[in-house]
Amino acid sequence: MSWTKTTTGKTIDIVKTLPRITLANLRPNPGAKKDEKHRGRGMHGGNRSGRGHKGERQRGNRPRLGFEGGQTPFYLVIPKYGYNANHSRRPQYPPLSLRRLQYLIDLGRVDPMQPIDLTQLVNCRGVAIQPLKQDYGVQLIDEGADIFRAKVNLEVQVASEKAIAAVERNGGVITTSYYDPRSLQILIKPVPFLMSGEAIPKRLLPGEDLLPYYADACNRGYLADPDKVQAARLALAKKYGYTIPDITMDTLFETLTRKKKKKKKKKKKKREKHGLLNAKLKEFLDPMHQRLRIW
Amino acid sequence: MFRATLAICGRTVVKRFISSVSGESALPSNLRLPSNLIGVAPQKRASPTGSDLPVLRRCEADIPAHLAPALTWLESLESHDSEPLGVVDLHPDVFSVPVRLDILHAVEVWQRNFKRISHAKVKSRAEVSGGGRKPWKQKGSGRARHGSIRSPLWRGGGVAHGPRGPTSYYYMLPMKVRVQGLKIALTAKLAQDYLHIVDSLEIPTPDPHYLLDLVKHRQWGESVLIVDVGDEFPPNILKATENLKTVNIIPAIGLNVHSMLKHESLVLTLEAVKFLEKKLLWHDVRFTPLYPFKLPYSDLP
Repeated sequence: MSWTKTTTGKTIDIVKTLPRITLANLRPNPGAKKDEKHRGRGMHGGNRSGRGHKGERQRGNRPRLGFEGGQTPFYLVIPKYGYNANHSRRPQYPPLSLRRLQYLIDLGRVDPMQPIDLTQLVNCRGVAIQPLKQDYGVQLIDEGADIFRAKVNLEVQVASEKAIAAVERNGGVITTSYYDPRSLQILIKPVPFLMSGEAIPKRLLPGEDLLPYYADACNRGYLADPDKVQAARLALAKKYGYTIPDITMDTLFETLTRKKKKKKKKKKKKREKHGLLNAKLKEFLDPMHQRLRIW
Repeated sequence: MFRATLAICGRTVVKRFISSVSGESALPSNLRLPSNLIGVAPQKRASPTGSDLPVLRRCEADIPAHLAPALTWLESLESHDSEPLGVVDLHPDVFSVPVRLDILHAVEVWQRNFKRISHAKVKSRAEVSGGGRKPWKQKGSGRARHGSIRSPLWRGGGVAHGPRGPTSYYYMLPMKVRVQGLKIALTAKLAQDYLHIVDSLEIPTPDPHYLLDLVKHRQWGESVLIVDVGDEFPPNILKATENLKTVNIIPAIGLNVHSMLKHESLVLTLEAVKFLEKKLLWHDVRFTPLYPFKLPYSDLP
C-alpha cells in the first residue's frame, strides 16, 4: 500500500500541516471525558437530589442488602448442602491441551529437546497458574491428541489416559508429580524466590487423598514403581493399538529419561548425632528417639 | 496576546498563504508584516528523501518489509553555520508511528499527576480546639440549639467537607502506553521538522552565546532540548547550557513527553538515537512480565 493510504501516512501528513504540537494543544479524544454527575446542585439535580420523598430512602437509613422487613430472607430460607463445601481447599488444575502444547513447540516457544516442566511452560507463557487460587499445577487433556506429533519429556500434575497414550505413542515420556503450594509458587517463578535468599524448601509428599493417584503406575505417578510403569506403558499401547518406540535407541534417551532428584530410601545405618542439644547433660536429644516422639 | 497568536500561527499563516498563492514568490506583495514580528517562518530545507546522498547510519534493528526507514539530515555543532554532513536512517516503528494525540494527552496528564501529593488539610469539628461542652442548655434560653461551639455552622468552627490530609494522585498508565507516547512524540517532532540529529555534542567554546547564535542561525526555535547517552558529556556543552534557560541538556534515559513538548526543538545524537530505538523497539517483541523487569530474566531478548 502506498504511504498516503496507510493510517500512519495519513496521520503524519495531517500533522505536517498542523501547528506545532505543544502542551497547550493537547486534548483527549472527543467523547472520552464525560463530566461527573453532581447531585444536589440546582435545577434537575437539586431539590431532593434524586433521593425521593421522606422515609428511610431520603434519610439514607435503608437496611442491609437481603433484608426483607423481618421475614426470613431468601438466603437464609434455603438450607445449606455440601455443593460448595471446602471449595476453597479443592485442588484445581488449569488445563493444557495437547493442541496448545503442539502449538507452543511449533512456534519455538518451548524447547522439546529439554525436559518440559511447569517452569518451562510458564516461562514461554503457555499456561497461567495461580497457586494462591488453589491451583495445584497443570492437567494434560487430550484435545488435539490426533495432531500431536512431538516427542517430549513431559512433567505435569494430572494427565488423562488418552493424553498419556498420545505422548507415549510419539516416543515421549510423561510423568505426573505433586507440588505442594509453596513449592509450586517457587516452581513457576523461581527468580523472585532465589533473589529473596531463602533456603529452598523440601517438596512435601502428597496428602492421603492424592497419594494413591501419584503412586499408581497407570497415571505415570512419580512415586510409582518403575517396573510397573513400564508394564503400564505396554498395556496402554496394547489398548490403543500402537507400538511403543524403543527409547533406549533414541539419541535423546538421556533427555527423555532425565528425572528430578527424589529422596531415595537409604538402608538404616548409623546416623550422625543430630537434633536438639541438651547443654546441661551435654548430649543430643534425637527427635527420632522412642521417648521423644510425639506422633 | 496578539503577538503570541502571531508567533504560533506565523507558520501556518505563511503556509496557508503559500498554498493559496499559486507558484510565485512566497508572500503576496500587499502583506505587511510588522517589524517586531517574532514568528518568522523558517525556510524549509529540502527533504532528504529524494537525494542521492549516501546514508551515514543504518538502523541496527530489522525493519519490517512493508515499511521504509525515515530519512533525515545529520548535522554538526562544529561551527554555527556548518552544512549538514549527510543523511541518516531512522527506524519507522519509532519515528513513523500513527500519531495519536489522545495518547500524548494521556501521557502528559499522567506525568503531571502521578507524582502529585496534595498536602491540603483542614481541621474538622473534631480537630478544632475546644467545643466539647454544650454552649447553653437545650431549652429555655431562647437561642438556637447547639451542641458545640466548633460545629461547621459556627464562626471559628471546623470545616464540614474540606480537604482531608495528604491525598495521592498516583496511578500508572500501562507500560506500553507510555512507550507509545514517547514514540508518538518523536514522530511528531520529526514530521513537523523540529527534530535534528547531530553526530556528537562537541562544541568549540563553552560560551552560551555560541549556542544561542547557532540556534538562531539554524532557526531551530525558541527552546531546544539536547539529548545524549552516557554518564559523561563534553564539558563545553555542559558549561554552555548550565545557565541557559531555553537550551537544556538531558541524558537519554530522562527523555519524556512533557519535556519534548515543552521545548520547541529536539536535538538527538546518533548514540541517543541508537539507544532510543533499542529501548523502544524492545517493548514490541517482549513477553508479558512474570515478575518485575528489574529482576534478572534468562530468556527474554
